[in-house]
Amino acid sequence: MSSFVRIGSTILRHARYLNQRSSRCTYHTSSPLSKPDLSVAIVGSGPSGCYTAKYLILTLEQLQQKGQLTNANMDDLKNVNIDILEKLPTPFGLVRSGVAPDHPEVKNVENDFSLLFQGNHENQKQSATVTQTHTKSKTEKLIQKSIVFRGNVAVGKDISLQELQSLYDVVVLAYGCESNRKLGLEGESLDGVFSAREFVAWYNGHPEFAHMGSYFKQALGNNPSQANVVVIGQGNVALDCARILAKGSQGLMSTDIASHALEIIQDGVEKTTVLGRRGHVQGAFTIKELRELTKLQDASFIVDEAELDAGTTAASLEELNGPGSRPKIRIDKLLRKAAAKTSPEEEKSKQVRLRFLLNPVQFIPDSAVKSRLGSVLCERTRLEGELGNQVAVGTGEMEEITANMALVSIGYKGLQLPGMNDALFDEKTGVVRNTNGKVHSKSNLYASGWLKRGPSGIIGTNISDAKDTVSSIVNDLRDIAESKVDGRVGLDSLLSERNIQVIDWESYQRIDAAEKDTSRLRSDGQPREKFTNVDEMLNYK
Amino acid sequence: MQTIHTKLTRHLASSSGKFLVRFGAIRHHGGPSIPSNAPTIQFTFVNPHPSQAKKGEPLEKLTVEARIGETLLQTAHRNNVDLEGACEGVCACSTCHLIFQNDVFDTLSDPSEDEEDMLDMAFGLTATSRLGCQVKVTQDMEGMEVRLPAATRNFYVDGHVPQPH
Repeated sequence: MSSFVRIGSTILRHARYLNQRSSRCTYHTSSPLSKPDLSVAIVGSGPSGCYTAKYLILTLEQLQQKGQLTNANMDDLKNVNIDILEKLPTPFGLVRSGVAPDHPEVKNVENDFSLLFQGNHENQKQSATVTQTHTKSKTEKLIQKSIVFRGNVAVGKDISLQELQSLYDVVVLAYGCESNRKLGLEGESLDGVFSAREFVAWYNGHPEFAHMGSYFKQALGNNPSQANVVVIGQGNVALDCARILAKGSQGLMSTDIASHALEIIQDGVEKTTVLGRRGHVQGAFTIKELRELTKLQDASFIVDEAELDAGTTAASLEELNGPGSRPKIRIDKLLRKAAAKTSPEEEKSKQVRLRFLLNPVQFIPDSAVKSRLGSVLCERTRLEGELGNQVAVGTGEMEEITANMALVSIGYKGLQLPGMNDALFDEKTGVVRNTNGKVHSKSNLYASGWLKRGPSGIIGTNISDAKDTVSSIVNDLRDIAESKVDGRVGLDSLLSERNIQVIDWESYQRIDAAEKDTSRLRSDGQPREKFTNVDEMLNYK
Repeated sequence: MQTIHTKLTRHLASSSGKFLVRFGAIRHHGGPSIPSNAPTIQFTFVNPHPSQAKKGEPLEKLTVEARIGETLLQTAHRNNVDLEGACEGVCACSTCHLIFQNDVFDTLSDPSEDEEDMLDMAFGLTATSRLGCQVKVTQDMEGMEVRLPAATRNFYVDGHVPQPH
C-alpha cells in the first residue's frame, strides 16, 4: 500500500512539474523529468550574458571531450540549465539599443545569440577535437543543456539578488552599465544638456527613454537644421551621435532608428562639434567610425591642422610610433588628410567639426531663456606628461562655443543592484569587485562584461571576457557536491506568484515578428520599427 | 528552370553579399556559396601553445579540407574550428582574426581599406594578420599553417592552472 502512495505522489509531483513547465516555457534538450545537475542564472541578455552562456556550455563540453572533468562531482554533470534574465521584454542589450542604426551588420551577432535559445546550439560549430588520436564521436552529446530567456524580469525589483542566489548554483551578473560619468560642471543641469547615453538609447527606441523626445525637441527647436550641437568626448559613441545628427532623416530612413527620433531630428543639424580635452592621438574612437564621418554625403568633415600639430607632442609622437600603434598611425594619417582638404568641404549644408585640446569648463545659459543651454565655455589645453600618460593642462585661453544641445559622452558607468552588498561594488568606477569574474565574496556570484571590467571594448571583447569568467565558474564547480537548489522551477513559480508578466523566447519571437511587419514600416528596406513601450510588447506574451 | 537556377547560383557565388542561404544552413555568412564538389586543398589550423600547458605537449593542430574559393571563416565553421564570426563574415568585426605564415601572407591579395580598419581593432594584431572572412582559399594554400590568435584560446580548457582564491 505504502509503495503505491509513494509512486502516486511521485507521479503527481512530476505532473505538476510538467504542467508548470509546459504552460509558458520552451524546453529543448534536457529531459523534462530530470532535475538539472547545475542551475545557472545570468542577469542580462546582452553580449556579455550571451557569450557567458555560450562559453560555459562549450567549455564543459570541451572538458568532457578531453576527459578533464576529473572530479567525481563533475563527472556526474549531465544536465545544465541556464536561465538568462532580462529587465526588458527584448534581449541583446546594447546590440539592440546601443549599436547605431546605420550599422546593421554589427547586429548580425544577434543571430548567433538567438541560437542559444533555439536549442540549436548543438548543431552549430563545436570546438574541434584537439588531438589526432581523439576518437570520441562528435555527435555524442555528453552535456544536456537547456537555455531559456526570461524577459521583463527585473532583478532587484521583481526578484531580489538574494533570492536569485538561493535559487541557483551559480549567478552571473552581466547587466552592463546603466548610468554614465558626469563632468561635474556648473550648468550641467540646464535644459539642453544630456548624456550621450540617453540620446543613443532614445534614438534606438529603448522603452525607458521614449519620453525624452520632448526634451530633445525643445533643445533642437522646430528647425533643427539651424541648431548647434556640442558633443563632449572622443569615443565611438560621440562619433555615432555626430553622425546621426549629421545624416538626418534622409540618411536614416531605411534603418531601424525609432521613428519618433526622425520626427525630431528631421533633416539633421547644421553644426555639430565633437570636442575633447586631449589630442587626437589619445582619442578613443576607432578608424572605421572616423572614416564614416569623412564620407558623409551632406555634411563636411572639418578638422584643424593646428590642433593636430598641437597634439603631436614628443610623448604623443612616441605613442604614435610605439608598439601596438598601427591604429593610431592610420588615424593620424586620415585626420591629416582631412585637415589638408581645401575649402569646398565647407560648402555642404551641414558641418561636423572634430576638435581637440578643448576642455569644457562651464555650461552657460541662453541669454534669453536662462533655464536653457546657450553655449559651452571651453579652455584650451596643452598636453603634458609621460608617454602613455599625457594629461590635459589648462592654458587660460578660453573659447565659447554656441550650443542649443550638449551631449556628454565621457563614458558609461555601472550601477549597484538594489540589494547588493555595498562591499561588493566600487562606486567610483561603477564596477563589481571581482577577480577573473569571481565576485569577491564566499558566494556563488560572478560577473561578466562591462559590469566586471568597466565600459571598454567592442562586442567581441566580451568573448575572452566571458571565457575568463567561465574559467572561474568551472573551477568552482568542483566544490559543488550536489545541486540542491530549485533553479528554474523555483524561479518560474516565484515569478508566477508575484504575477510578473514573463516574456519567454517564444513570446519574444512574436514581438520580433511584429516589429518587422510591413504594416509598421515607414519605408522599404527598414528592418524593423521597434516598439518603444513595454505594454505594447506585453500584448505578445 | 535550370538556367534560372544556374544564374542564381552564379550570382550568389560571385557576390560576397551579406546573405548566403544554403539549405540546411542555420547561419548566414558573407562569402560565396561554394558547392560541395568543388576542388579542395588541405591546410592546418593551429592554436597557439597555451603558456601554462605542460612541456612536451604537442601544439594543437587540426588539418582540414578546404574548398577552393570559400573564405577561411567558412572553412573553419564547416570543420567545427572554434573561430568566432560575430558579424557573420561581412567585415564588420574582428573576431575571425587569423595569423598567417610570412610566405603565405605575402601571396594574399591586398586587404581592402574596410578590412584594414577592422584589423586595427583585433586583439593581438600581428604583421601577418588578416580577417578570415576576407581571405579566400586558393591552391597556393595547400599545406599552410594558419594560427588562431591567443585571445581566442579557451585557456581553461587547455591546461589553465586555476589560481586559488
